[in-house]
Amino acid sequence: MVFDEIFDVIVIGGGHAGCEAASAAARLGANTALLTLNLDLIGQMSCNPAIGGIGKGHLVREIDALGGIMGRVIDRTGIQFRLLNRSRGPAVQAPRAQADRTLYRVEMRRTLEATPNLSLRQGLVTDLLVRGDRIVGVELQDARRLAAKAVIVATGTFLNGKIHTGRRTYAGGRTGEPASTELPQALRRLGFPVGRLKTGTPPRLDGRTIDWDTFEPQPPDERPVPFSFSTDAIQQDQLNCFLAYTNEPLHQKIRDNLHESPLYSGAIKGVGPRYCPSIEDKVVKFPEKSRHQLFVEPEGFNTNEVYLNGLSTSLPAQLQQELVNLIPGMDEAQIIRPGYAIEYDFVDPKELTPFLETARCKGLFLAGQINGTTGYEEAACQGLIAGINAGLTTTGRAPFRTHREESYIGVLIDDLITQGVDEPYRMFTSRSEHRLSLRYDNADERLEPKGRELGLVGDTEWDRFNQRRERLARIRGLFASKKIRRSDAAHDHLRRVTGQEIGDAIRLGQLALRPNMTVEVITGLLDQEERVDLQVRDIETALADYLYAGYLDSQNQTSRRLRQHDMLSIPENLSFRAVGSLSHEMVERLERVKPRNFGDARKIPGLTPAALSNLLVYLTAQQSNARTLGA
Amino acid sequence: MSLSADSIVALSTPPGRGGIGVIRVSGPDALAVLRRMTGDASKGEPTPNYMTLRPIIDPRTGDTLDQALVCFFQAPHSFTGEDVVEFHCHGSPVLLRRILDTILQLDVRLASPGEFSLRAVMNGRMQLTQAEAIRDLIDAQTDVAAQQATRQLSGEISHRLQPAKDQLLRIIVRLESSLEFVEDDLPQLEQHEILSALGGLRSDLGSLADTFVRGRLLHEGLKMALVGRPNAGKSSLFNSLLGHERAIVTEVPGTTRDTISEPVGWDGIPITLIDTAGMRATTDQVELLGVERTRRAAADADLIVIVVDGSQPLTAEDQLVLDDASGKRHVVAVNKSDLPNFSPQRVGDVIGQPTAVAVSALTQEGIAQLRAAMLKPFVNGNGAAEGLMITNARHHDLLVRTIDAVASSETLIHERASEEIILVGLHQALEFLGEITGETTTEEILGQIFSTFCIGK
Repeated sequence: MVFDEIFDVIVIGGGHAGCEAASAAARLGANTALLTLNLDLIGQMSCNPAIGGIGKGHLVREIDALGGIMGRVIDRTGIQFRLLNRSRGPAVQAPRAQADRTLYRVEMRRTLEATPNLSLRQGLVTDLLVRGDRIVGVELQDARRLAAKAVIVATGTFLNGKIHTGRRTYAGGRTGEPASTELPQALRRLGFPVGRLKTGTPPRLDGRTIDWDTFEPQPPDERPVPFSFSTDAIQQDQLNCFLAYTNEPLHQKIRDNLHESPLYSGAIKGVGPRYCPSIEDKVVKFPEKSRHQLFVEPEGFNTNEVYLNGLSTSLPAQLQQELVNLIPGMDEAQIIRPGYAIEYDFVDPKELTPFLETARCKGLFLAGQINGTTGYEEAACQGLIAGINAGLTTTGRAPFRTHREESYIGVLIDDLITQGVDEPYRMFTSRSEHRLSLRYDNADERLEPKGRELGLVGDTEWDRFNQRRERLARIRGLFASKKIRRSDAAHDHLRRVTGQEIGDAIRLGQLALRPNMTVEVITGLLDQEERVDLQVRDIETALADYLYAGYLDSQNQTSRRLRQHDMLSIPENLSFRAVGSLSHEMVERLERVKPRNFGDARKIPGLTPAALSNLLVYLTAQQSNARTLGA
Repeated sequence: MSLSADSIVALSTPPGRGGIGVIRVSGPDALAVLRRMTGDASKGEPTPNYMTLRPIIDPRTGDTLDQALVCFFQAPHSFTGEDVVEFHCHGSPVLLRRILDTILQLDVRLASPGEFSLRAVMNGRMQLTQAEAIRDLIDAQTDVAAQQATRQLSGEISHRLQPAKDQLLRIIVRLESSLEFVEDDLPQLEQHEILSALGGLRSDLGSLADTFVRGRLLHEGLKMALVGRPNAGKSSLFNSLLGHERAIVTEVPGTTRDTISEPVGWDGIPITLIDTAGMRATTDQVELLGVERTRRAAADADLIVIVVDGSQPLTAEDQLVLDDASGKRHVVAVNKSDLPNFSPQRVGDVIGQPTAVAVSALTQEGIAQLRAAMLKPFVNGNGAAEGLMITNARHHDLLVRTIDAVASSETLIHERASEEIILVGLHQALEFLGEITGETTTEEILGQIFSTFCIGK
């Protein structure tokens, strides 16, 4: 085969997965190309101009700790930062930021262009070139052929993308951009099982036509908490968002026009995310709610465009206009881009290894929405892992994975590859069995040494991390040893602050469990010398450690007991009848799902504990038998 | 091969009466259990593989439960490959249950069916080089399962537990949604509502767990022995309790020379009623044998019915019987209430026994009261309980753990802890229930969230 250009790694797609993938592979020393349909739209936020939130903010922190780029880019381009769940414990707090959509894109492209070993190329991939069971390159629409040892497909909603507004449907990857129709055929030819998913987006308004005084402002945090561990402070100005509500007349109009909705006419076959429902869904499924909350979000510093978050819809454009005008304060509002629903192809993620490589085709990696996920952060972390592994394997190194015990990234990939998806997969903290340990504030401690070992964490960041590690050791030491005694001046103060008796002597660590123990109170108990260089977040981390220490055992105990056999694999050709002592019904359920390991079997609905226990003994015995025979 | 994180316990000998009953503990805490159950505070390790006679002590009360041979097997030289401790106790089911219950208080859980074998296989202690061996293991597993009738039973219990589980899930869903969807317009979380729901849940599960005592009786049955001096009327009373003539009754003291057993069912509880030979000093070889059997039957019974003749003063022989029974569970039947010189007070004063029942085998007077008194120690106020009962010790153990986990979350709500901490106990509770009814996956919880609340920007 003759190739026009030769690379180590090719990344198809310049969205959030593609950007992380290309950046990581290139920085690991692989000669990398990022292929995209339109170089001007690298890092485009197709939907909500925001990064983070509960679960998602955790992912961004982890991406950053491993040496990814998303956190830094949003820190430079965010227009409203808020730390969510401040009233709750640190394990379920997470940063969220509205982005300036344009600045984010520009900053992302600038970051990629400054990356050595990384080439940007515009073009539409029409075929995957395969030799035997290995990928060897890609073919473009203009007949160019590019060679690569590894190819990462990160094509988002572009594969056979089909856009719906009202009864009109047309092919498209995003509004205003063409769909990719030949690449999905190439994937099907290779034998990948492909399904359909759906997502949607709300209309964008002209900000000059909105009566802003009608809406309750939602101000930014006074002291914005950045995403990246390498960001000291957010420099740019911060803007307000606003709260609005739908009303009964608007709901009635939707009910009257449901026949216009492709969701309810049966035109849309793909499954949409339940946690991101369209306004049609909200009105139909929750008829008792007299109003639904909307967020009115500016799209950036230099634009009048406004994102009407919460009004995702695929109703006809003219009807969308009428609906918007039913909202008080938006009587005159003009839609400048209508909302729409989009259906697209995804590949069953059970095809993937933990390294996000396909088992079917060596060197072929998949990342982002193509694996059935939704969300920029979910996409970015897959891009990072795929990019790392493409970079590692093409430069002759062992692959890398992070486990579900140590990161949300590990939870996400493990869930995808073991359970597959029925609807677009989004991260929630409840997906982790180790929620109390996987905190946004300790992502650096969990993952940065790994990022450094990989070679993605630079010297400056590594120095910062080591300094923080020293400070943490110091404050943890103080928590363990420093005592406040009755004779100390602070003793009385603490009694007032906590509203509790303190006793003759109490260690800082014990104080952490008392009410109203804030960073300020703790700081007030430290000497000048002890306080040197300590940062607020160091004390927060120490407080969080102590707050949860007593619950970690309970948290981990049951999950470990239940899950300790999960990795026990089930032979592909196993006839469940052979297990014996299983009822017909249990055998049928097992045969239908064909679990690949005990963990999969455990999750089959309706399988009784007795049946599982029988299966477990059988599998353990088989494995032990095989080992003995093999020895 | 990694060793298991937790320790398990089970009765290793077949259920029912035997000469000895072996309770086996396996796992990292086995040695600690041995020390606490024998009141051994020493630091040194007991010599592995040596049997020693030790008192078995309830560490909470200091009560001595039994004298038993105990043995420590050090990992990996044990059946399971882990630290194993065996208690070779006296084989009374009542006693074994009590010892097992005591061990379950020590951070040890009841083994699932086949779990000891599973650990043995995991740790490479069972060499399964032949297909037959594998089949044997599975068959053994099936036998246990069959014995406990888990399959059929868990269907029923699942059904009974479903509303409780749904309720728990609803509460988890409320708390999880408030954490995950902080920006959504969710209804206010009412602390007192959650607390009252959890309280209701706990008491519901509690009343189900309380059926265990009775359920266990239903499953295993009780033995009750009638003892007394000759001619106190044991056999007449035996026949009256049975409702038909089984024992031969004469005026001649010492007619019953051997023990006679008959099954009866009272309130659905299977009971083996035993008539015994009269207790007295005798030289008659045959009668002597009978007396010895009586002693054994009495030692082995869950309850002794001491029969005294209420028409006569207490004799030295009566005193002998009463002394023998002291320390065992018993009721006193003051017989012959039909006779004119009957005086229960006199007898009652002597033995200071408030549960003495006046009865006449002849007229049937007081028989119903006697039956009730005999059942009372076992039914524990649950006599009228209807519906499903817990008969499987593992299910009982899991229910108790569920209740504890829910209670710990309630405490945390009172302390105004953050939801993610409160949820630790509730998720634990859900997983314990799941071990009986089948697991609830995160997907199901999320599904419930999305169908309950309108979530999403």
